[in-house]
Amino acid sequence: MMSSPLQSTPLFMIGPVPVTDAVLVTWVIMAVLVLGAWLMSRRLSLRPSARQAALELLVDTVDGQIRATTGASPEPFRAFIGTLFIYILIANWSSLIPGVEAPTAQLETDAGLAVLVFLSVIWFGTRGLGLAGYLRSFAAPNPVMIPLNILESITRTFSMFVRLFGNVMSGGFVIAIVASLAGLFVPIPLMALELLTGLVQAYIFAILAIVFIAATVEDGKPAKGEPTADTPDQRT
Amino acid sequence: MKLDWWTLGLQAVNVLILVWLLQRFFWRPVAAMIATRKDAAQAMLADAKSSQDKAAAALAEIEQTRAGFAAEREKILADARDAADAAGEAAMNDARAKADKLRKAAEARLAADKVAAEKQMADQAASLAVDIAEKLAGRLKGPEISAAFLSWLTDAIKAMPDDEKTAALADGKGLRLVSAEALTAAQKTRANAAVAEALGGKPALSFDTDAALIAGLELRGAHFTLRNSWQADLARIREDLHHGG
Repeated sequence: MMSSPLQSTPLFMIGPVPVTDAVLVTWVIMAVLVLGAWLMSRRLSLRPSARQAALELLVDTVDGQIRATTGASPEPFRAFIGTLFIYILIANWSSLIPGVEAPTAQLETDAGLAVLVFLSVIWFGTRGLGLAGYLRSFAAPNPVMIPLNILESITRTFSMFVRLFGNVMSGGFVIAIVASLAGLFVPIPLMALELLTGLVQAYIFAILAIVFIAATVEDGKPAKGEPTADTPDQRT
Repeated sequence: MKLDWWTLGLQAVNVLILVWLLQRFFWRPVAAMIATRKDAAQAMLADAKSSQDKAAAALAEIEQTRAGFAAEREKILADARDAADAAGEAAMNDARAKADKLRKAAEARLAADKVAAEKQMADQAASLAVDIAEKLAGRLKGPEISAAFLSWLTDAIKAMPDDEKTAALADGKGLRLVSAEALTAAQKTRANAAVAEALGGKPALSFDTDAALIAGLELRGAHFTLRNSWQADLARIREDLHHGG
């Protein structure tokens, strides 16, 4: 029987810090990703192998999505958005390994990711527009919208992690229920569907993150003819 | 529902660390390699473009050189034609000049031969004429002829300078009066008197004959001879004809 998805049970404690199943799986995913990245990227050459071509295709695809969304250079956002996508994808698909529960099926993991997106919006906004420019983004299209924009910045973050949590948790939950009721091979179509769901949810989370960042940067830009002295860095 | 803030924070930190690690070991190296390969591709394209431009320039240069070759070939052929024409013209002029020179030399030689032949013919004609005259003069004999020759002799003696006349008179060996045929006594007497009159004195005069004279009367001394005969006249005519012809 599965435990409640709304409740995280610590496996062990490191001092006052409880280490849950989601944290442990995340560490394993991190180790696999970093080790794999190091192994695959240490022998890059001008004449690419099939492995290098696949890596370059992945990076180029992420760059293309960022460029299509923001219209700017993808370099400042690449690591954050790309890592979000890969981590969420691997985390979602990790539930297909018997005995492993996806970290994204735990509310804390999705909330942590949403908090990172919230903070990244502030970071990239202040970095690209300056503090005043970032604050001005809340006044778009006019100052009347400031309360609503502040509320929206919180609720959209909340909706992100709720959406991710609900989809992943429900998928895993359904598979577990079907497996417990119908036998070993019946949930396979649902697991295949879960692969697609995991991919789509990772894509949606990453795209929403870059959309929020791009919207903030765009809203904070001064109108035409307005002085830009408070926007020291226009790199984004 | 209870949110575990420790887990939330740990997961956020985990993802942040993962972002940093993947940035270091994945995103940055692969993106750098993509950029490097793009730069290399651009450089290769630029090199290819440069090589293409160079090849096009070399091709244009070759075309230009080939056109130059054609023009130079035409020029060489034209020069060769001109040189051949000039050489042919010069050879023709040279041959014409040589032919003219040969023709003139032949004409001169023909003219000289003609002159020589004419002269020879004139000489032969003169000799023949003289021989004919000699034969004809041989028939003109008689007292009238002898009297005429005696008259011509006395005229010649009279025309001599006085000192020569004196020398002739003083000639100890005497003077000889030579005729073609022996003179009769009367003729000798007239001749002796006429000579003495012409000389202005009485010389020691002897008479002699010389058939070679044909006809005539000549006075011969030790130091002079007054030629007065057909032989002398014919010899003078022959000489004149030889020199005058």
